[in-house]
Amino acid sequence: MTALEWLPTLRYLLLGAFPNGPLGGAALTVVLSVVSALLSAVVGLAGGVALALTRGGAYVVLLGIVAFFRAIPVLMLIFWTFFLMPMLLHIDVPGLVAVVCALSLIGGAYLSHAVHAGIVSVGAGQQQAALSLGLTRWQALRHVVLPQAVRIMLPSFVNQWVSLVKDTSLAYIVGVPEFTFLANQVNSRLMIYPAQIFVFVGIVYLVLCSALQWIASRVLLRERAVHVTRIDAATEMETEASTVRDEQHGVAVR
Amino acid sequence: MHLMNFWLEPRYLGWLAHGFLITLILSACVSVCATLLGFGLAMARIAQHRAVATAAKLYVLVFRNSPLLVQLLFWYFGAAMLLPSAWMTWLNTPHVLSAGPFALHWPSFELFAGWLGLTCYSTAFIAEEFRAGIRGVGIAQYQASAALGMTRYATLRHVVLPQAVRIATPPLAGQYMNIVKNSSLTMAIGVAELSYASRQVDTESFRTFQAFGTATVLYVGTVALIETALVIWQHTGVRALQRGRA
Repeated sequence: MTALEWLPTLRYLLLGAFPNGPLGGAALTVVLSVVSALLSAVVGLAGGVALALTRGGAYVVLLGIVAFFRAIPVLMLIFWTFFLMPMLLHIDVPGLVAVVCALSLIGGAYLSHAVHAGIVSVGAGQQQAALSLGLTRWQALRHVVLPQAVRIMLPSFVNQWVSLVKDTSLAYIVGVPEFTFLANQVNSRLMIYPAQIFVFVGIVYLVLCSALQWIASRVLLRERAVHVTRIDAATEMETEASTVRDEQHGVAVR
Repeated sequence: MHLMNFWLEPRYLGWLAHGFLITLILSACVSVCATLLGFGLAMARIAQHRAVATAAKLYVLVFRNSPLLVQLLFWYFGAAMLLPSAWMTWLNTPHVLSAGPFALHWPSFELFAGWLGLTCYSTAFIAEEFRAGIRGVGIAQYQASAALGMTRYATLRHVVLPQAVRIATPPLAGQYMNIVKNSSLTMAIGVAELSYASRQVDTESFRTFQAFGTATVLYVGTVALIETALVIWQHTGVRALQRGRA
């Protein structure tokens, strides 16, 4: 095949049947990622704040729910949302909606831990100072604690979003015509270039994920430009992640 | 009989049990191989040889930032093209390894590709956990061993690594949980593991809730077991440490 003959295939892989049909391919992967990323951030923020505000029984129940979504494979949750939501709710759930639901729930569960850890790391002193100024608990959280916590949480959000971009490929299982699904379709039609096709697909995902990390590191860089001269975004994220981990498993480390 | 049929027929439970066994075997094999290779990769990343360190960095970048599903499809469809056909024939013909009363059945090519894909993917993550553990060891430790006249190798072997492994254990447990969860993706290339079995039971019996419910409980149970093992390790570890200091 010459380069020219590859063009329609390439177009199909990147856009699906777009102008004449529904959006698909890499473009759908991007849309799927953005929607799930935003929803998972909302779920994560709500979950993290709820974890920080609740005590006793409610806290344990909430922790159990978060732990459940962290323990279940993404694929299994997609099965639940795709096959069981229609049965329980008696509505027709398209594959796309099922996948977005599953990804936002799992992403949200991971992020609520990050948000909770961020809120805890800001420290009780800030909270108490805000309360002593006459702010309500909610106001203290909204105006004093969260703005500081978000800066600490940002690397976890980026890490979670990167793994979310990769997890959108699981929509393939329920037949959503995203990038991996179309690549597999093209592969079964051509049969002779499997290695080339999947290497290409891998590179496109690599570019998507790296671009996300690069943009995030630029944002972080601008935020911290004042006191840090040079930030390697990757190391920054790792140290942040390990501090969160250290807090969680502090007993073992020391 | 009636009571058993209430949940799932024994035949279907058998399928799920077999799928669970495959999941456990696959995860165990991947965990062992990825830990060994990941340790090697972490060593390569901190190597003083520039080319070795760069190659290791590139490996981590590529394998961490592309989806596992694409990697599995690559190994399953692509490796068949890249490997010499004689190898493929050898891989596809069943061999039986028998040792005494135990006979090991030759794994299917699907299982082999799944194992290879999962191992390559997890190796990158585990290497990063080891590296983070090594970075977690304080600079004073290096300086102290240098002051004692230890070589770079001796420092690494006797001072840094024992502490690094201890720091890396909790995140490593997290990676083993991820391996168990990620093994579900191998159903896409036809490995008859737990998710595959639950899907099959669902199609055959129309008992969607029971099929996925059983599989979910088994997955959550396995992950909880690893978490429990970690907690036990942490507690005995702390106690041992206190005893050592007292």
